[in-house]
Amino acid sequence: MNRLILFFLILYCWGSKSQQKNNLYGSFFSNGVYYGESEDNDFNEDLRTNNYLKLDYLVGEKWNFDLQIESYAIDGRLQNFSENLNGTFISTFSANYKINNLKFSVGSIYDQFGSGLIFRTWEDRQLGINNSIWGVRTTYSTEKFNLTGLAGKQKKGKTNSDGVVYGFDAELMLFENFDNYKNLNLGLSYVGRSEPEIEYSFNNLTSAISARVDYNSESFYINYEHVTKSKDGIVQFGSVNENFIKNGKADLMNFGLFKSGFGLDINLRRMENMSFFSDRNEFGGDYLEATLNYLPALTKQHDYLLTNINVYVAQPNVSFQDPELMKSGEIGYQVDLFYNFKKGSPLGGKYGTKLSFNSALWYNLGGNYNYNNQNYNTSFLDFDEKYFSEQSIELTKKFNNKYNATLLYVNRYYNKRFVEEKSGEVNSQIIVLDNTLKLGNKKSLKFDIQHLSNDDDQKNWFGYGIEYNLNYNISVYHSNIVNYGNEVEGKPSYYSTGISYSKNSTRLSTSFGKERGGYNCYGGICKYIPEFKGISFSISTTF
Amino acid sequence: MFNTKAVISFLFLLVLNFNFSQESVPNTTIADFNKKSISTDLVLKDGKYYVLSFWATWCIPCINELDAIADNYKEWTDNGIEIIAISTDDSRTKKRVRPMVNGKNWNFKILLDENHDFKRALNIDGIPHTVVTKGKQIISRRVGYSPGGEVDLLDSIIEYKSNNE
Repeated sequence: MNRLILFFLILYCWGSKSQQKNNLYGSFFSNGVYYGESEDNDFNEDLRTNNYLKLDYLVGEKWNFDLQIESYAIDGRLQNFSENLNGTFISTFSANYKINNLKFSVGSIYDQFGSGLIFRTWEDRQLGINNSIWGVRTTYSTEKFNLTGLAGKQKKGKTNSDGVVYGFDAELMLFENFDNYKNLNLGLSYVGRSEPEIEYSFNNLTSAISARVDYNSESFYINYEHVTKSKDGIVQFGSVNENFIKNGKADLMNFGLFKSGFGLDINLRRMENMSFFSDRNEFGGDYLEATLNYLPALTKQHDYLLTNINVYVAQPNVSFQDPELMKSGEIGYQVDLFYNFKKGSPLGGKYGTKLSFNSALWYNLGGNYNYNNQNYNTSFLDFDEKYFSEQSIELTKKFNNKYNATLLYVNRYYNKRFVEEKSGEVNSQIIVLDNTLKLGNKKSLKFDIQHLSNDDDQKNWFGYGIEYNLNYNISVYHSNIVNYGNEVEGKPSYYSTGISYSKNSTRLSTSFGKERGGYNCYGGICKYIPEFKGISFSISTTF
Repeated sequence: MFNTKAVISFLFLLVLNFNFSQESVPNTTIADFNKKSISTDLVLKDGKYYVLSFWATWCIPCINELDAIADNYKEWTDNGIEIIAISTDDSRTKKRVRPMVNGKNWNFKILLDENHDFKRALNIDGIPHTVVTKGKQIISRRVGYSPGGEVDLLDSIIEYKSNNE
């Protein structure tokens, strides 16, 4: 710490004497909860806050530094965050130097190779993910070529992984035609991981390679990524099984068609044994620490309370729970369609109508699974148990200058047994009507009603939300969802009442309520949150 | 591992001694639909007014704001303001951006900030978040969106222009 302070002081003196422009700026974000009651007794009657102060310092055009300090204050971290996060500490720091086409970085590194199937480091404060690499990186980039090399250890809360990570990434634009927007790009990446302090009976260095091709034109695109991961021990029940050694692979294909008022996108993906951690034993951890790659669910990302019950979580792993529940990955597709019914057409009316449709279907990989011998062999295009399917249609229409509405219908199948490794299958239909009414004089009202029909699991739900904007700065809101079909005594209900104030880049909000326990998903990655009742508040600002 | 008091004293020292606020858009790289990376310095031309709207395909208020802007986009361009919608969709939803933009008939420029390098450089926590600039100079920022907010945003830029030109 003292050395870091000394370093910044030297930097400060240097910066002050420099003729070049200096600039320090940053942001502060705080998220807190007073837990009145929680499903997790350790949190009852605790006041917990997560605080992030980020500072950026630019010295001229070539140097920049950033520093993030985190504090998990009063009674500690929020309940869905790793126990490795406690006290006040420097979480990330980086020094970057740029000259011509070269950029050098030392410290905490965020980067992504290709679509992230073999490497992505990023920060997500809602989910408590910060998996940056503590190391060095060099990037050489021109308009048509980009080459990156990096090495280091991975951040795990306040410490770093024991495992060491090496990576390189190259991207090349093979041709480009400005007249018709055509271009063809190639990409190649490598990521290696080894745990020098542990001896295994198999090769300690696991190597993952990604090769990509990407074609774009004025009205069409297609891209394909193929990934292989070398043989590695499968982690079962918290430790590496040295007798169960498998390689991993993934294929991702994506193509789309578009023109004015119309867009279509199709995603196909197959993943087998693709989870990849800097420390092997972090596999299956609750807090997604030390994860090297990004394997999100390819399904529609929903934003309403009832549509977020039983959402799909990607299944990239090998898991042999019992002779009836064995899986090695996933295979499936997602289709998105967007269409704009023009103004003046029968369905468009005076202001036009916007349609979006999404369909997704995911299966376990088909093949031969042997529980007694702990082994499997898969075929490339073979389908096993269905994990998840969903079709959704959404219509948005502006009726006049004061009123517009969105109608959303979702039909979903969720195989809870295979996805969560619990029991049951769920068939549900969800309907949402979301209305926005401008009341004039800067005031507006948003209200939605939602219903989830379900003969299985927790049965039917009903919900509503109302938000009143007093002006462009202050909003008050209330939402409530009731599991009225549930057979348990005292139908579960979850509610929230809150107020938010925003001005320029500052936002303050507070709410009181009872939060539903379950998976909290953001960006296709989900974490389990225990149910709780309490007061939440947040502050965010930039300066 | 670290001394809290030292950290706090150090921060005070920094705060008291430095030129303190983000006055210009830092130079970082961003992508468009065709090119893998473009320098933000090349995107923002000196003297021109921009609204950088950070959004994502799954963010309902962001889409409401951009739909509302698209409905009256001519009014923005007539006043010499260019909208740049910066998608923060990561690889899960990035591929929905182009079809959605076409399906919605948005005519403004779209840029992609897939691993949030630009968002992080501007210290943005949540979206929607809009940054108004004249060239690279930051004029104002807003977080959140409520219906009609786009009219207020346009009026505030027109007022700034008339006071400063």
